Amino acid sequence: MTDLLYWQALNRAMDIELAEDDSVFTLGEDVALYGGTYRVTEGLLAKYGEWRVRDTPISENTFTGLGVGAAMLGLRPVVEIMTINFALLAMDAIVNMAAKIPFMSGGQFPMPLTIRMPGGIARQLGAQHSQRLEVMFMNVPGLRIVVPSTPQDAYWQLRQAIRSDDPILVLEHELLYFQKGAVDETAIAPPLHQAQIRRAGRDLTCITYSRMSTVAQEAAAELASEGIEMEVIDLRSLSPIDWESCVQSVSRTHHCLIVEEDCRFAGTGAEFCATLQEFCFYQLDAPIQRVAALDLPTPFNGALEAATIPAKENVVQAARKLMGLNQGVSQ
Amino acid sequence: MKEPILMPVLSDTMQTGRLTRWNKSVGDPVHKGDALAEVETDKAVMDVEAFADGYLAGPLAPVDQDIPVRQTIGYLVDSPALTKAQPSAADDGKETTEISQPPSTNGAGSNASPLAKESKDHSGAASPAPPAASVVPTSEVTPSAVSAPSEGADLSGSSPYARALAADLGIDISHVPAGPDGKIHASQVIAAAVQPQDADLRLGPPFLIRKPSSLRAAVARNMVASLSIPSFQISADFALQPLQARSKAQKRSFTLALARACALTVAEDPYFNTVWTAKGLAVRSRVDIGIAVDTGAGLITPVLRDAAERPTAELAEDWRILLDKVKTGRLVPEDYQGASFYVSNLGIFPEITQFDAIVPVGASAILAVSAPSDNGKTVLTLSCDHRVIFGADAARFLQRLGQRLQDPSWLS
Repeated sequence: MTDLLYWQALNRAMDIELAEDDSVFTLGEDVALYGGTYRVTEGLLAKYGEWRVRDTPISENTFTGLGVGAAMLGLRPVVEIMTINFALLAMDAIVNMAAKIPFMSGGQFPMPLTIRMPGGIARQLGAQHSQRLEVMFMNVPGLRIVVPSTPQDAYWQLRQAIRSDDPILVLEHELLYFQKGAVDETAIAPPLHQAQIRRAGRDLTCITYSRMSTVAQEAAAELASEGIEMEVIDLRSLSPIDWESCVQSVSRTHHCLIVEEDCRFAGTGAEFCATLQEFCFYQLDAPIQRVAALDLPTPFNGALEAATIPAKENVVQAARKLMGLNQGVSQ
Repeated sequence: MKEPILMPVLSDTMQTGRLTRWNKSVGDPVHKGDALAEVETDKAVMDVEAFADGYLAGPLAPVDQDIPVRQTIGYLVDSPALTKAQPSAADDGKETTEISQPPSTNGAGSNASPLAKESKDHSGAASPAPPAASVVPTSEVTPSAVSAPSEGADLSGSSPYARALAADLGIDISHVPAGPDGKIHASQVIAAAVQPQDADLRLGPPFLIRKPSSLRAAVARNMVASLSIPSFQISADFALQPLQARSKAQKRSFTLALARACALTVAEDPYFNTVWTAKGLAVRSRVDIGIAVDTGAGLITPVLRDAAERPTAELAEDWRILLDKVKTGRLVPEDYQGASFYVSNLGIFPEITQFDAIVPVGASAILAVSAPSDNGKTVLTLSCDHRVIFGADAARFLQRLGQRLQDPSWLS
């Protein structure tokens, strides 16, 4: 067990997979010489050479398409798209090719393709570089999407993604790269798409993922000091979603709070909410609540940017409201 | 300046208060400390005092309605001109009835205090209130007091889980009172499940629902709370004549003498001054005797503090003051709460030769004193909390009390 930064855990996972399987290779902008924008491929060019760690021109649809083709022929490409915002340029390769080919070929072509994408709102990268587009990919059948929130999950889930024969998007949060956490390389990984209870609680269930999982845990600590025990479920995967873990928890707490960094309107939380009420309607003691980002392009100004996404206080307030505790006397 | 006058919080448990009267009218000059109104709490009537000099301005909260604490009940203003700003200020004294008829848009959701809505309406174009509305008396059937902050339209209801739970528990959810947000949640269903069921009146004769007085409601609450106490009764016959004679000779009230006898006997066995709590046995350092008094309108239990240690003369003075407060309905919670032992005396009813009393929450025993039987002896029945007091303790208690009644030379 060692303490690693999130990027180091990903780097370690890449290193092991490249070492263990000759068919694994990685490509993308600045992955080789520069070592990756967030250092995830650092040192790999020297170790594995330019055939397996390959810089590409700024041409997302092309190099992602190259990954699709390589996967069809039996290689295990790991494509890095510098941020999820640039994936908009690679939509045809991802949506029309990677997600469709295994189905349209009747399973004749596998698609062992991994696409890594940093995303989420970092610090003042502007509206075009601060999008959370996971919901777009969730709406594409045929893709799997994982959203590791800890170095351990980053390590496990990237390795599992590379070994999978399905196209998998690994969405890494830009503010998590320099978070430190324990990584046990000998521990047996939980199933790729299984949710994890980050904090147990009896009063309400908070369903969240990626960086918001850490925000929710901070909120849960504060709520605990007020006597509200909030369970925090980190989904770890957005497609498929581990509904069973969610339903089990909500059936115990009868209260459900969804926290997402995505925009509220038609965001990921909308899907969680809709499906959970189908499963848990008779277990709900209050309407499911969502804490989400504001529905607007992210402002560049730092204070305004922070105001658009959920913070700990928003989660605490929403939890209090959900528990019917926010009705103090206001004069 | 216009400062709101709030419904005061007069005790820890007070959630609502009921104005029994306004002593001042809108436009009256008031001085700091003046009693503006009288408010009835759990058991007592207390004054709402002016917190500054000024003039009383409306709208004033209605009398005889439960009003949540900290709710605005009226205003203090700087100048008499400001008090005239209210459209109804002309017909002085009528405000109370007028605002008891909130011009709410939907009759159903008007649980919120009328004032909350009214104060908004008053600020703008104030049209004279329809006179018809102002003479309609306040209905006695008032809605529940603690109400939701009325934000947005209320969807009807109860949560799916509350309904499922009610179905499982066999509870008719239409009889479950809503929670603070106006909705029925699981907690309300559970509360209803553990509470005794209301009688189903639909099959009986026609009826009206009248709101119980605060005092009656408080007694009912306390009696339900006492149901959780596993109690037993033990009785003995004693001649009370020696104590009666002695108290007469010493010019003390017999009730006081009896309370004193109990206090001295309680002091000899700490368990009689102990109460069972979830945290452990609460052993009290002072014997406070609560004495049940029939006010005609209900039951109240003024408390003689430290009744074992203090001189009888001091207790007698306390007792006189307490009885005076009982007569004027001005007992405050400190006067009637927190006794560690209770005495209930029905001796003035010669037909009643035996009864037993219910151990109130917070005490471990209560002594019931009836009228003497034909043989001249009186049955004393002690009800005890068996978690604290066992049968033999209770028997010894009565023995020791009997000796004190036999030989009351201790009474000074």
